[in-house]
Amino acid sequence: MFFWKTWKALSDAGVMGINRRNADYVLKYNKRHLYPVVDDKILTKERAIAAGIHVPELYGIIETEKDFDKFDSIVANHRDFVIKPAQGAGGDGIIVIADRFEGMYKTVGGKIISRDEIGHHISSILSGLYSLGGHRDRVLIEYRVTPDQIFKSISYEGVPDIRIICLMGYPVMAMLRLPTRQSNGKANLHQGAIGVGVDLATGITLKGTWLNKIISKHPDTTNEVDGVQLPDWNGFMRLAASCYELSGLGYIGVDLVLDQDKGPLILELNARPGLNIQIANDAGLTTRAHIVERHLAQLKKEGREESVEERVAFSQKHFGKLPNAPMSSDEANAGTA
Amino acid sequence: MQSINLHLKILIATLVALGVLITGYQIYVLDIPVTEDETDDIWSLDAKVEFRAVPGTPIKAQFFIPPLDQEYVSLNESFISNNYGVSINNQKGNRRVTWSSRRASGTQTLYYRLVLTKRYSEEQAKAAPPPTPQPVQLEGPEQVAADALINPIRQHSADIETFISETIRRVNDITDDNVKLLLAGGTSAMDKARVIDLLLSNARIPLELVHTIRLENTEAQTPELWLRSYNGERWLYFHPETGQQGIPDNRLVWWTGSDPLLALEGGRQANVTLTVSNSEMNALRLAKLTTQNSASALLEYSLYGLPLQSQRVYQVMIMIPVGVLVILILRNLIGMQTLGTFTPVLIALAFRETELGWGIALFTLITALGLSLRSYLEHLKLQMLPRLSVVLTFVVLVIAAISLFSHKLGLEKALAVSLFPMVILTMTIERLSITWEERGGAQSLKAAVGTLIAATLAHLLMTIPELTYFVFTFPAVLLILVAFMLAMGRYRGYRLTELMRFKALIKS
Repeated sequence: MFFWKTWKALSDAGVMGINRRNADYVLKYNKRHLYPVVDDKILTKERAIAAGIHVPELYGIIETEKDFDKFDSIVANHRDFVIKPAQGAGGDGIIVIADRFEGMYKTVGGKIISRDEIGHHISSILSGLYSLGGHRDRVLIEYRVTPDQIFKSISYEGVPDIRIICLMGYPVMAMLRLPTRQSNGKANLHQGAIGVGVDLATGITLKGTWLNKIISKHPDTTNEVDGVQLPDWNGFMRLAASCYELSGLGYIGVDLVLDQDKGPLILELNARPGLNIQIANDAGLTTRAHIVERHLAQLKKEGREESVEERVAFSQKHFGKLPNAPMSSDEANAGTA
Repeated sequence: MQSINLHLKILIATLVALGVLITGYQIYVLDIPVTEDETDDIWSLDAKVEFRAVPGTPIKAQFFIPPLDQEYVSLNESFISNNYGVSINNQKGNRRVTWSSRRASGTQTLYYRLVLTKRYSEEQAKAAPPPTPQPVQLEGPEQVAADALINPIRQHSADIETFISETIRRVNDITDDNVKLLLAGGTSAMDKARVIDLLLSNARIPLELVHTIRLENTEAQTPELWLRSYNGERWLYFHPETGQQGIPDNRLVWWTGSDPLLALEGGRQANVTLTVSNSEMNALRLAKLTTQNSASALLEYSLYGLPLQSQRVYQVMIMIPVGVLVILILRNLIGMQTLGTFTPVLIALAFRETELGWGIALFTLITALGLSLRSYLEHLKLQMLPRLSVVLTFVVLVIAAISLFSHKLGLEKALAVSLFPMVILTMTIERLSITWEERGGAQSLKAAVGTLIAATLAHLLMTIPELTYFVFTFPAVLLILVAFMLAMGRYRGYRLTELMRFKALIKS
């Protein structure tokens, strides 16, 4: 029967479903009262700055309709900037202004919009249109990330970002998310962006996923997405791993970008990271999570905790997928046993 | 984590056990019927007393009515008599109604009606055994005839039971001279019963004349006479003419003793008609009626104790958890997408009033109209709250318009659309249009269809009459439902749609 065979095959591969993610990881490792830290991007940013973690520079915050008067002074010294709802989800409600044009603003897509239109958009955000629970929100205006040139050939508009899922500060899986024409420059998988798996040990890209299928070429640029070496990979890993101390949440997806001037930056944290990362990596999250959980139990017995560097090293040792990380397949098997 | 799991397991087990125990108690101990279709027989006994009043004299009609301490329980008893005083008195295990009037003229008609059903509970008041009789003093030839009969009977019998049978057999042999003499020309069952009583009283065996009625659908019955005696353990019934022993189940004792059914003063040409008719009634409603009359606490603490009006509301309300369960299964086990978590349940509730086909059609129509308005409003760049208010007002107007048109067209069903939860519709439209803009038409259609399917399923399940009855009568099953929901809260398996989603991950 298709049903049982598929079920069995998926569970053998250690693939994590939504129910398991919610029951065993999100509910278990993420304390509810800590959610505001990740749900509100302004709070995340404040915490990150306090911890000395790199984030895109915050230009200003608009909290009320009246505050819109401050808009001009906030963006006065910047030609390009990003307008974001503080509690938005899935990249909704974000406007990226790339340039000025005759007193108007030009979005990254080339559309010219007036100051009034921006005002309307900001007031929509404030009234809670994009916020998770529909309640009032704040607007943040921040530095516009310029993606590193490395992504030029494998990305269509927008800013590609790197999602690293961390369990108790151990990176377990990573994915490069590339905007497509279909996703309107957004790096969100369910809007049509493609996800490309990243080898944790080396930072070399693997095959990708697009609309739940496994692919190896970017649909718009038709360039191969696999085999690309991401620069400063250890920097990414360290940033992601340190987000555990920053947020206190045990199971998070850390979204990072690679700015051509400022290097790896943390964009936001997600307390319920999606599961398509498994298709991009052609690997199951449950398998890897179990390896980390066993390691944590071992550490607890020994009564010690590991530093960010040790955690990154552990992950790179166990979760490398490419041939130059020989441990991986054995460990993966051990994990399912 | 381990202790939480244990805690959860204990909680689930406790809830299931509680649910099963309470429901089992209700079904097996309180004997509440499991389905609504279980019906019980209801007997309605009608007695009509007709007579001509003798002018100028007060009228007093004494009429036996069935005692209520039998294996049948009274649901309703009524006396219909114009201008008559009614009083009931108990005497020697009998009940007797006395109709009285100072004066009356012409034909008088008095009615008595008793509605009965078999007793639910086992407890049953036993009629007290009659006292040992004093021998009836006879004189001359009658004494001789009685002695001549009793002596062989005594020889041919071993105990009370056989003694009575033998007596009945002998008395029914009307060729016997001794019997003839004692009967003094009468051959009715009553006469024979009198002689049997006489003979038995000489043997100091207590005997009671029992006038019974057959619980059968018949017009105009005459009470059937049975004899009974108490042998120290139980009542023995005998038919005075056939000698048949044991009374059939469908006989109801109307009165005992040798007095006639009706004793009339101040009237002539009395005529009594007894009619028995049978009807069936929902067993539960019956149980309820019996409760009211016999004051047993059978259903006192159930939802049936509520006033009828609120019962109807609760019958809907108590099914909501079932609808929620449907959503839970559809979302967490199957992985279907719906707009909002409990929106489908609310839509399902609205379907109750509109009927399914109409409900789906109207829901689709209103949502489609609302969506087109919403997409028009999008161009006007309005803020959220004013925009939502506009959509809500529009929804109200559309509903009013649909009602008006359908009323003009004679489609009364569509009028029920006004019961659609308008705020829910508005929110559905808003969510749908946001999904449409952000995720595209395909995604939003998927969610909308999912919502409709979920609402339909929930509606179908919530309106199964047997299920509604069961949950309403045995609300403890909701505890089992809660246990299942708790278990679902820790379900880690794949959702059905995930099997498709992750198909690419299966190594061939």
